[in-house]
Amino acid sequence: MSLQYIPTAADLNTIAEQVWSSYLDPEGINPFLPEENVAVDSEIHASVSITGSWHGHVVFASSMAAAKRAAAAFLAMNEDEVSEDDVIDVMGELANIVGGNVKSMLPSGCFVSLPHVVSAPANANHWPAAEKICELTGTWMGEPIAISMWQSESESEGEATQ
Amino acid sequence: MKILIADDSRVMRQIVSRTLRQAGFEGHDLIEAADGRQAYDKAMEENPDLIISDWNMPEMTGVEVLRKLRANGNNVKFGFVTSECTKEMQEQAEEAGADFFIIKPFTPERFAEVFTPIIG
Repeated sequence: MSLQYIPTAADLNTIAEQVWSSYLDPEGINPFLPEENVAVDSEIHASVSITGSWHGHVVFASSMAAAKRAAAAFLAMNEDEVSEDDVIDVMGELANIVGGNVKSMLPSGCFVSLPHVVSAPANANHWPAAEKICELTGTWMGEPIAISMWQSESESEGEATQ
Repeated sequence: MKILIADDSRVMRQIVSRTLRQAGFEGHDLIEAADGRQAYDKAMEENPDLIISDWNMPEMTGVEVLRKLRANGNNVKFGFVTSECTKEMQEQAEEAGADFFIIKPFTPERFAEVFTPIIG
């Protein structure tokens, strides 16, 4: 199989910057602040799977407070008006946007699944036979956020370049 | 103008509606579809002037909706708002007869650029 370019944490950061400037912080007051080795005690995880010329998952994880804030920003509501369904829908859309943009960087022939959202700590999430290949961590107004890519093991044995 | 917004994400339908307003396109009749099948059915039943569609939707993808409309002689203005943007997708969209292709995340400025020639 030919060598493929696989997006890196820097690519995830470029996507995150676009998401924040478009929807979560359009006025540029409260940007996402990338920070290495942030302990992300995530409470909600949204993911899309990618299949085709690359197999794996893209995961958007955050604290529940950050997720509620994202839902409020997306929907132009106050945080206390945001419902659980709003939070799940917005997190799914965030995973969809990041996953779609990741797909655009991968070799042609990939497909992105509909998003899947789990309101549970990280240790309740499990992607069988996949390993984390890159992660962007940071904070948004003090709340932890992590965006990660998980590659299926069969794809990760010396085929990809970064 | 009647505008059909097709996206399986309720959040994204709201954001498309809001971004249209922010881009200066107010006072239009906005209708929604939550999957590709609904999008096709509403396109045929309600005769919108413009369809703004997601690509990846349950039941039928956006490009399948577009192909089916064109196959049935429906030439409504139709384009995509999607987070996925590969060359092959853009080529498929063009071949199917799409009028525009907007990548998420998008801004009101991008909407104004694309929709001013269509909505006026």
